[in-house]
This record gives sequence, C-alpha cells and structure tokens, in this order.
Amino acid sequence: MADYWNIAPGMENALKECFSREVEADVTLEFVIPEKDFNNAGKGSSEVKNLLKRLGVDSEILRRIAVASYEAEINVAAHSVGGKMTSLIYDDMIHIKFEDNGPGIADIKQAMVPGYSTADDLVREFGFGAGLGLPNIEKNSDALHISSEAGQATLVEFLIFFS
Amino acid sequence: MSETKYFHAIQILEDNCTGCTACVRVCPTEAIRVRDRKASLDPNRCIDCGNCVTVCQFHAIIPSSDPLDIINKFKYKVAIISSSYFGQFTEDISYGIAKQAILELGFNEVAEEAMVTEFMISMIRDYIRDNRDKRPILSSNCPAVVRMIQVKFPALLPNLFHQEAPMSILTRYLREKISAREKLADNEIGIFLIVPCVAHVTAVHQPEGAYKHLQDGAFSTGMIYGKVREIIKKLQNNPEQVDIDTYPQGLTWALSGVQAELVDCEDIRALSVNGVENVMDILSRVEDHYLDQYDYIVLRSCTNGCVGGCLNVENPFVAMSRIKKMIKEGESKDINVDDLEVLYHQGEFAVVPLTPRPIMELDKDIKNAIKKMKRINEFLTMLPGLNCSACGSPTCYALAEDIVMGTASIDDCVVLLKRHSKEGDE
Repeated sequence: MADYWNIAPGMENALKECFSREVEADVTLEFVIPEKDFNNAGKGSSEVKNLLKRLGVDSEILRRIAVASYEAEINVAAHSVGGKMTSLIYDDMIHIKFEDNGPGIADIKQAMVPGYSTADDLVREFGFGAGLGLPNIEKNSDALHISSEAGQATLVEFLIFFS
Repeated sequence: MSETKYFHAIQILEDNCTGCTACVRVCPTEAIRVRDRKASLDPNRCIDCGNCVTVCQFHAIIPSSDPLDIINKFKYKVAIISSSYFGQFTEDISYGIAKQAILELGFNEVAEEAMVTEFMISMIRDYIRDNRDKRPILSSNCPAVVRMIQVKFPALLPNLFHQEAPMSILTRYLREKISAREKLADNEIGIFLIVPCVAHVTAVHQPEGAYKHLQDGAFSTGMIYGKVREIIKKLQNNPEQVDIDTYPQGLTWALSGVQAELVDCEDIRALSVNGVENVMDILSRVEDHYLDQYDYIVLRSCTNGCVGGCLNVENPFVAMSRIKKMIKEGESKDINVDDLEVLYHQGEFAVVPLTPRPIMELDKDIKNAIKKMKRINEFLTMLPGLNCSACGSPTCYALAEDIVMGTASIDDCVVLLKRHSKEGDE
C-alpha cells in the first residue's frame, strides 16, 4: 500500500501529543456512502456540522471541517464502489475516516495535483470532478493521511483541531 | 444565553390552542413546544417566519400588528407600502386606485418601496464591488432571513448586505425631507409601513442594527384589507378623484427572482432563493463554501418573495403574475435619486454590524457540551424514532435534547408510555 501524509506547518507537536494519548472518542458518528448516490452525498458531513454546532465549535473551524468532509464524502460517492464515513469527535479535535471498498488510487501524488481528475461523465454531469477534492481536503485539514493502491480499498483520514 | 428580550409580532391565545402540534412541526428553528396541551414560543429561537401563523387552524397563533388609530398620535402621517401589496387585488382594480386607497385611510402622504428599487439595485452592485472579499453577499431585506442567519448560521453574518432595507431608507429620507418642508419636529411625524408579513412587523418594533429612529408602527395588508376594499369601491365610482404617481418598474422588489435578475450583470452573478426550507439549505451550502461562485444571493423566507408573506390575502403565484403584468404594462414616474446617493455616500444607510443569537450550543464549555451530547444520544436510543411530535417536541432528537436541558421528561413520550402500559398488562 502506498501512503501519503501531509501535516500542516506548526501542527507537528499537537499531532505527536494526540497520537500518544489513549482516549476513546467522546462521540462517534457513522455514515454509509453508497456508490454514485449524489442525492444523499453530503448528508454525512452536514450531520457532523450540525453536531459540531451544538458543541459550540468556532464557526471558521466549522467551515473548514465542513469543506474537507464534504469533499471527501463526494469523493467516495463519485470514485469508489461505496464506503463509509466515521467521525470521531474529541473535546479538542475531530478525526474523520473515509474507508471505501475500492478500486483504489493508482497514483496518490498525481491525485493531489489541483485540476487532475479521473471522474467519469456521470460524475461530471452532476457538477463534480473538477479535480479539487483532495487538494481542498489538504488545504483545510491540520493533518491528512491517504492509504491506497490500484485495485485496493482506499482510506482517507484527516484531523482538524478546534482551536 | 443572551439577556436580550426578543419581541415577536406573534401571539399565542391559550384558550384557542388545542395542543395539536401542527405549529411545532412546521417551525424551521424548532422554537415551539407543546407542554400541558398548550403551545409556547421560545423567543430566542423564533425568527418570525410566520409558518405557525399559516398552519394553525384554531386561530390560536395570531399576528399582532398595531391598531390603525395610532396614526392619530402624529401631526403628519406617512404610509410606506410594500410592493407586494399591489398584487393583492383583482385586475379591475388599478395600481393607482389601490395606492390612493391607502392615502385615504387617513394619511397625509404615501410612499412606496418601489420608488427606490432602482437605487437599491445600484447600491447593492456598488456594495458587492466594494466587498469582493466577502463572497457571496447575502440580501438582508427579509428580516426572517437575517434572524435565521443570526440563530443558525452566525459564520455568515459578515456576508450580509450591511445597509438598510428600501422601506427604511425611504423612512430616513422622508423624515428629513418632511421635517424641513413642513417645519415639524421628528416626534410630530409618524411613519408607518404597510407590510406583508410578521417578520416586518417585528422588525419595525425591534429593528436589527438600526442607528436611528425609523418607523412608528406597521400595519399588515391583511388587517387593513377590508377597509381598503371599501375605499376602493368608492374610488372606482369616482375615477376623477384618483390622482397619484405610480412606479410599476420598481415593483420587482416583491419578487425575489426578478430582483436577482436585475442585480445580475457582467461582473456580478446573482442567485435567487425563496421559501424558508430552501433558504436553510442554501445557507448551509454557503457555509461550506460551495456557492462561492455567486456574488449575490437574494434570500426570501416566503414563497416567491414578499408576495408570499403570510399576512397577504392572495396566493403568492397569482400575486406574482399580477405584479409581473403591472411591470410589463405600466410606466413609471421619473424619480430623482440624487439625494439618496448623497445620503448613501455619507454612510447614512449603514447598519450596526449584526451579532449572533446562537441557539445551537448545548453549553458554553465544550467538555460539558460533549457530556450533554452523550446523554442526548443515550435518550435517543430509548426513544422510538417516529418523530410523531405527540410529546410536544418536534422530533425524537429534540425531545432527547429537551430532556437533557431539563425542560421535558422521558415520560412525555406517548409511544413509550403505551409500550410500558402494555408490558404492565401482560
């Protein structure tokens, strides 16, 4: 499996601290994302957004979380045969994992280039597939990890701190 | 929670309320609960959209507007008419007659929103060009939309068009002009609005962001309609008495779609959205930065815009069609807006930056909020998930939240109660 990591500058220590602690998430939300279901794609991230509003998360941070999770959710719906979204909410950050059932990303580095897309016509018809999904997730998250390979399942996960 | 006491132009008449929960289910901000078989309104959550007024079949939720005779407290009385008013009459009643009828209710002068539409459009374009960093700019004319953003989408407050709405701009302008012309003090001039909805009545009594004294009262179209019809009949029989200027080209303000088309131009892309559910959906997407391609979004809480106001008498689609016909067939009197331009550039129409009225937070402290969230989820797993509202809360989630916030109990769930009593029998 190929792995891709990106850590926002200045976030290294916060990340180290959060990897070393062994606490379970305070609130966990799971959401199934069916293949090419654009009518419902976005509902998972919208539910997470509403939950975070109830927790009083700062509105600018909320917008970053909303953008990153929406992009990732659409990616799963558009490019995979379906998967799920798991949101792990702690009192200082959110960790969202997107796991699909393939077909995998052949070249993650290339997928990170803004404007590059493998989206098919159906996806483009819905107005998606501009090739900005992964770059947008990277831009809005404090840490991003992608693990994939052609023919395999893909894991996209990111962390965003609340302050 | 904020300490401010919020005024709402809605009254719940307990004697008429049957506790049917129809209002609970249509409230977009979950502001209504039925407890002990009576509806009650949370003033912090209510945005005055009027859904509950429309849905209540028992006349238990009624709009409060001012009694017409309050105008007699003033020496000089002015009415400013919402554009939607002109869509409320059958086509044999002319624009001029409908307008003059308002004058004859006892006013010294009538003005109408339509007079400043053209000026508004150029002001909006100007504002958008000056605020390119805040894409998209959101229209602020609908008071229900402004409150919706304050309570549910506070991150979008800076995007609101921070200038007064047309009827308030006219109020400021007329007050100055009349006071100079008639040599009257500010408190001798009474300026009143003829409005299509609850939200505008509320806004007159508790304006958001106003720097100065604006209007002295508001009358709903529905409330004055009977009287107006009588005057109209009289005027129709004496057409020679009808002598008043009209501004059909400006009536576009009542229609959210047409307003967006007018603002739209080479360097400004505009979108029009109406209906409170649609507005919420769009605001959520704006929050996610998914509509950044638009420079301006016209947002109106009612169907088709102000023609859909809950205190109008005509169906919003019929009213819209009539107004479109007037725009097409009529000719506007020329208006000189130079004075308004000057006032705008002096910053006279600016409003105080709008502040949030958050209703979503469970607790100021995130650790406590998480604790509450966990307890809500625990209760949620116990509840049946039917969202039947029989408990008096709009959904099972809302009931779970109410239980945790201490305003309801799990025994309020009728379905659980029935299940338990069955188990008890067996």
